[in-house]
Amino acid sequence: MKKATVFVLMLALSMSLVFAQGSKEKAVRPEVVKLQVWYAISGASGEQFLALAKAFDAARSDIELELTYSGSYADTATKVSAAMLSGDAPDTAIMAAGQLYTGGRGDYSMEALVKDPSFNVNDIFKGMLEYGMFEGRIAAVPYGISSQVLYYNKNITDKAGLDLEKNPPATWAEFYQIAKTAMEKGNVNNSADFYGFDTSDGVWLFKSMLGQNGNEVVRKVNGRVQPVYQETSGVEVGKFWKSLIDANLMPAGQHNNAEKKFLAGNLAFIAASSNRVARWQGNTNFKLGAIMMPGFKNRSIALGGNVGVILTEDTFKRDASWELLKYLLEEKNHTSFALSTGYLPVRKSAQNGEVVKEALAANPLYKIAFDQLDNAWAYYHFSEMGTMDSFFWYALDEIEKNVSTVEVALQKAADSLVKEIE
Amino acid sequence: MREKSSAMRIHRVTILGKRYESAQVRAAAVLLLPTLIAIILLFLIPVVQVVAYSFTNYNLTTGMKAYNGLANYEYLFTDDRFFKAIRNTFTFATLKLVIDTSLALAIALMLDSAIPLKKYLRSAYFAPVVVPVVASSLIWIWFFDPGIGPFNQILSALGLPTSEWLYHEDTALLSILMFSIWKGLGYNVVLFLAGLQNIPTSYIEAAQVDGAKAYQVLFKIKLPLLRPIISFVLMIGIINTFKVFAEVNVMTPKGGPLYSTALMVNYIYDTAFTSGRMGRACSASIILFLIIFALTIIQTKLDARKTISLE
Amino acid sequence: MAKKLKRMSIPIFLILLLGSIAMIFPFVWMILSAFKTVPDVYAYPPKWLPSSWKFNNYVKVFQMIPFAKYYFNSIFTSTVQTAIQLFLSVTAAYALVVLDFPGKKFLLSLIRSTMFVPIVVTLIPLYLLVSKAKMIDTYAGIILPQVFAAFTIFLLVSFFSTIPQILYDSAKLDGCGYYRILSEVVIPNSKSPISTAMLFSFLGHWKSYTWPLIVTNKATYRTLPIGMKYLVQESSSEYQIMMAASVMAILPVLIVYLFFEKQLVKSITLTGLKA
Repeated sequence: MKKATVFVLMLALSMSLVFAQGSKEKAVRPEVVKLQVWYAISGASGEQFLALAKAFDAARSDIELELTYSGSYADTATKVSAAMLSGDAPDTAIMAAGQLYTGGRGDYSMEALVKDPSFNVNDIFKGMLEYGMFEGRIAAVPYGISSQVLYYNKNITDKAGLDLEKNPPATWAEFYQIAKTAMEKGNVNNSADFYGFDTSDGVWLFKSMLGQNGNEVVRKVNGRVQPVYQETSGVEVGKFWKSLIDANLMPAGQHNNAEKKFLAGNLAFIAASSNRVARWQGNTNFKLGAIMMPGFKNRSIALGGNVGVILTEDTFKRDASWELLKYLLEEKNHTSFALSTGYLPVRKSAQNGEVVKEALAANPLYKIAFDQLDNAWAYYHFSEMGTMDSFFWYALDEIEKNVSTVEVALQKAADSLVKEIE
Repeated sequence: MREKSSAMRIHRVTILGKRYESAQVRAAAVLLLPTLIAIILLFLIPVVQVVAYSFTNYNLTTGMKAYNGLANYEYLFTDDRFFKAIRNTFTFATLKLVIDTSLALAIALMLDSAIPLKKYLRSAYFAPVVVPVVASSLIWIWFFDPGIGPFNQILSALGLPTSEWLYHEDTALLSILMFSIWKGLGYNVVLFLAGLQNIPTSYIEAAQVDGAKAYQVLFKIKLPLLRPIISFVLMIGIINTFKVFAEVNVMTPKGGPLYSTALMVNYIYDTAFTSGRMGRACSASIILFLIIFALTIIQTKLDARKTISLE
Repeated sequence: MAKKLKRMSIPIFLILLLGSIAMIFPFVWMILSAFKTVPDVYAYPPKWLPSSWKFNNYVKVFQMIPFAKYYFNSIFTSTVQTAIQLFLSVTAAYALVVLDFPGKKFLLSLIRSTMFVPIVVTLIPLYLLVSKAKMIDTYAGIILPQVFAAFTIFLLVSFFSTIPQILYDSAKLDGCGYYRILSEVVIPNSKSPISTAMLFSFLGHWKSYTWPLIVTNKATYRTLPIGMKYLVQESSSEYQIMMAASVMAILPVLIVYLFFEKQLVKSITLTGLKA
């Protein structure tokens, strides 16, 4: 029995050693407030954000930041939800707009915070502010906002005899013809896998197109959110989408591969996020160009990107988080962030600064994204918006692969959404 | 274990009608305690919880947790994506099982003959098994790239039609299957090889003296003696096939073109962690578990019948 | 006689050789591509050999993600997991083979049945349990839920069963209690299978993906497979960086494997035969 006891004791000891790792510190002293900040911005843009955040950390001796890159938008959303369950959530997060808004949990304290005079909320573009709303109320502040831009491979368009700077398309119908010409005459690599147009985010582009055709995606009716994309204006967009596939201008179901194709020189036009400007500048083995997105009835652009949310309920931490967000959104800080990453400036005053004007003149590609700002909008954000995106994805898949007609696919997505909302 | 040793007096106890040595029972209790705790904490309790949650609308994002009866199961039975996942799983499992086993057997039989470089060959076939899935998935994603990947390049060099591999609903699952087989083949090959090498050469020589041809040796001697290994491979195969997750998750993140590559495991993971609907995911897990359970029972029963008929 | 056999087997040899090339071709490609430049990657028609050997890709991997930390985490968690798992398995296997006690058969089938439960089924409650115990983003959280593996137990059971009864009997005659039999008879005679089980266990933990994915948020605790997934997201158009990372992730495993190959194969063999 003695042996057994020693045995069990040793077992317990070894287990507790491992367990000791698991205890968490709960240090919160008002003198130095420690903040857990997670951000979902990757790559070069992430580094820019990190630099800014660290500058804030260095400047404020009473606030200490612990910064973590938490993965893609989807992964971050999952992790934050899971962390909230266990009380492990970060205090602040820069993450994608979605059901995790504080609004989703009934916390609209951001509404009061933005009234802070040093924040100057009136300086923020209306569309951007909308992007930070949940069910019509402010629940987050816009941070890394982007829109889609139509990039093109100049080598291909040159070969096809197209001059896009002189004659950019204003409507999608015009674009259709241009893409067709590019495809017929512009195959610089003589590749068998050559296409005229694709997008790396079909759902985003589709939403933009809906807006351009007068469709607001969803609408609140009698206190309930209803999908409206299955109405006629939506179906028209779907039909145009399908016509691109039917004419073999766009490959079916290959959006995940679109950027690779473009970089390989086998795609003439691509609709991708404005923040690709930072990534692709100087890294392509062809000349890169960009034009404004054509439209249907109007040329509005749906915004996408990430927002800053405050998740903590501790007063000190909340105040500290607000200080951080204000710093990040100060005009010069945020503008330098935007210019170096291809995100859009959120403040109207940024447009008028000399620095910005020079930078834009020097780099026409950024100019395109900024020019689209006046037309930017955000659709109504609600709890199931993430799931709605999934339904859009499936619907587009079905439309592209010719499994259902446009009406059926969109109706199905609408019905599924209604089911989820219940 | 009754011993008539004069050195120790053996204390016995009767538990549930059988006689045991109390020293053994005590030792067993102590030695097995950690394992028992592990099983209870890591399996029993979770499984019970999963059953319980499957009847709630537990949602990760809103935190609500209320009993909602069979609502989750109802949703699953009307969700054609769920059925697609089940269908994909069965297709994938059947093909993988059949190909893995027969191909491995063929390779093992070939390796068992008089050829040079046996050691190198065996290592080559086994190497993909030890490699982390994520790393090898990345390589294969590149291979499958329709534009710049080597597979299509080789195909067109040979004058054959190219494929869209992971991007077309007809070929996506098969592409993942190819990868999965490449990854798992070596394991079965080694098992079969061991079994073959365990067959005494005297049996084979005796048969050859009797004038048996090669294929007779194969069917009358080798295969029957390999039977226990074959059923072991099949059983492990069924279990492992239903656990396939990483490669689908890495290679076709949204369930693939027209949801053609999502397996049940992926459906559960996406429902639980991407959509946050834990309750529904638990219901789907229960269904998956029941399916696996049923299959293994079927396999054991078939196996038992075969062994009896042999004797 | 021997010459005749060799002549007949050449077609078989060639088939196998071709097959083996198919098996290791991905590794060769990976190593070559890890040295390529971006234009090489996107060259059309695809290039096989790099135009210039860029060792810089490896450096870039370390710049893009904290690769060294991930490496360390993988090594640390795999080692500790293996140690604990071995401890559990040796004790359990010994008890199951040598000792007789009520409920033995039941326990055996209980252990066997855990093999049928895919990790996805237990993932959710385990995650909730770990998060309630505040073990998310801790080494304990990564390690503890993965310490149980029925496979290792059965592996050792089949080995321990081969130890001749004589050794037990003589130990008992010497007055050994059951614990001493474990430490003085069973373990010394099973050095090879135990080290093989250890190897298998380590390899399995090194590769584990699903659980560490869920249970770690912070980069400081991520293991290599998860780190690689993030690398994919960060560098989605830079294949050559991903290949460099893959090389670093795979090569050590391959080396360990080649070193221990004989033992590994022997242990799989014995599990299969006794099952």
